[in-house]
Amino acid sequence: MGAREPILSLRDLQVEFNTDDGVVRAVDRVSYDIYPGETLGVVGESGSGKSVTVMSILGLIPQPPGRIVGGEALFRGVDLLKVSKPELRRIRGKDVAMIFQDPMTSLNPVFRVGEQIGEALRVHDPELDDDGTRTKSIDLLKLVGVPNAEARHDSYPHEYSGGMRQRAMIAMAIANQPSLLIADEPTTALDVTVQAQILEVLKTAQKETHAATILITHDLGLIAEIADRVVVMYAGHVVETGDVETIFHTPRHPYTLGLMNSLPRVEADERWLKPIPGQPPSMINVPPGCPFHPRCELRQGRDICRQETPLLESIESSDHLARCHFKDELRGTASKFAEDQEVAS
Amino acid sequence: MFTYIVRRLLYSIPVLIITSFLIFMFVSASGDPLNQVRQIPRVSQKTIDNIIERKHLEEPLIVQYGYWVKDAVTNQFGTSLLSDEPILPDIRRVLGNTMQLVIMAEIISAILALLIGVVSAVRQYSVFDYAATSLSFLGFSTPVFWLALLLQILFVTIYLKTGTRVFFTGGLSSPNPSNFWIDRLQHLALPTITLVILSVAQYSRYVRASMLEVVNSDYVRTARAKGVRESRVVMKHALRNAMIPFVTVLALDFGGLLGGVIATETVFSLDGMGRYLIANLSERDVYPLMAWLMVTAVIVIAFNLLADILYGILDPRIRYD
Repeated sequence: MGAREPILSLRDLQVEFNTDDGVVRAVDRVSYDIYPGETLGVVGESGSGKSVTVMSILGLIPQPPGRIVGGEALFRGVDLLKVSKPELRRIRGKDVAMIFQDPMTSLNPVFRVGEQIGEALRVHDPELDDDGTRTKSIDLLKLVGVPNAEARHDSYPHEYSGGMRQRAMIAMAIANQPSLLIADEPTTALDVTVQAQILEVLKTAQKETHAATILITHDLGLIAEIADRVVVMYAGHVVETGDVETIFHTPRHPYTLGLMNSLPRVEADERWLKPIPGQPPSMINVPPGCPFHPRCELRQGRDICRQETPLLESIESSDHLARCHFKDELRGTASKFAEDQEVAS
Repeated sequence: MFTYIVRRLLYSIPVLIITSFLIFMFVSASGDPLNQVRQIPRVSQKTIDNIIERKHLEEPLIVQYGYWVKDAVTNQFGTSLLSDEPILPDIRRVLGNTMQLVIMAEIISAILALLIGVVSAVRQYSVFDYAATSLSFLGFSTPVFWLALLLQILFVTIYLKTGTRVFFTGGLSSPNPSNFWIDRLQHLALPTITLVILSVAQYSRYVRASMLEVVNSDYVRTARAKGVRESRVVMKHALRNAMIPFVTVLALDFGGLLGGVIATETVFSLDGMGRYLIANLSERDVYPLMAWLMVTAVIVIAFNLLADILYGILDPRIRYD
């Protein structure tokens, strides 16, 4: 994997927001890579900066109050943070497309669904005529499994169900065969049964476009199902990254371990969920040193956690990185998740 | 949609009947319609008896109402107390004049308000936005008669200093104009400016608020994420949604203004609906007043219907069935 060129490479991305209570550093020196064709899962609690990271590289955060303070976002070698606005606009929706969290509000209520898909096509291909646009839009709707696509093409968003709208959003995102697809919590707002369907559509979309996919979610089940590699974020930092097996079975950051152990398990006879103690920090007063130290079970009162921010360092393989002073103490510790799998097999 | 309109039109019939009944009863309850006439020395008892007979004032109220309705429908609202001329042609004339003023003022106001409101919202907290909201606050708080007088003084001064008539400061027409419509525009300009200043102050804030509501919405972000150019994002995706409440307010307001812009018409001696109301109020002539009330009621009902229809056209989520 190391030999391949990443399609998108984030380096030390820093994004801040000015709020009435002070400056919020939503994204703090975030670096990660995504390679062609792979699916990268980005997990973290609400407010951990996972969405802001991808929104900011596409210029989709409102500025002000948002501000990109520093870093690089190299897409095929071009820094998306430095390109001109028209240049970025040509990349958006064509090479890099996005699927948003809430399909109920992400479609414009006053335009027909087909029209909105057609717009995505036409913006990047002005030559396309009305009939061609319509045919292509209908094909896209068929591809994402919208039944009766010809008729549904001319329906308004409010005439679609939530799952159908998310299908339409996916159709819109893959309209121009993007090489990078960013799905920002694509199933969070949907019913559990619909989630499974959308996941299938997402897989179809990936297969059709061969696009690399960044899947942002806090649903670890979704990650396990679809991701090749995982980035774990906490309080604007990347705290751990590695391939999906490693992250789930032998995490080396106490936060990741806490996440895995907090998953309710069908096999085990447990009466209580096992949450991570404490609350995620207020982003205005991020704890000094390691931002996770107030909640960390591994710290055991050691001062270094409060004084020094640990670096994101590799563990055994170069692909597995963790940001913890005492990551080696977790060597050999398997998550309960892994234990279950062993029991099951 | 068509059945909805027909149904609404049918609903308006009982509404108008009730309105006419209430108008007649309330106006009649306000006192003897002949009070004012009796105090005029030159009006003889014979004339008064004549009016009593003609207007059936000896009969019970409900019968009088019947005669009034009959007059309104078949006889152009009947006559006023002391004249033999029917009322409706007068109302038609003043309504026409008010319409010229209001249509012109509302179109200009709507366009200006859209421009100012959109730019204000897109560049929220910019110098332009602060200037626009401050000026609109000023416009809001300006008394209309004061603004009208100020404009009159300004243009009278310009006339006296330079000798050229840019705009007239009163009336609707000159005695022998070389071009009727240019002359009319010169007369309507100042009342129009007065109305525009007041309306733009109000509407631009309205447009700004509804734009702000949509400009950071998810679907606008979706449009940006598709690579749509920013001007198109604003003018198509955002504005189309922001227009929905604005157009509704505009239509309702329009109906209200057609009832007359009393202060403006009075200051500029404009022969419109507002001045007609004031003139007949001061003469205590109930018959033109009731006619005015009826016509205004019809206009308000019509524009309410228009607002609802426009709402349904602009917002596909609204269904009439």
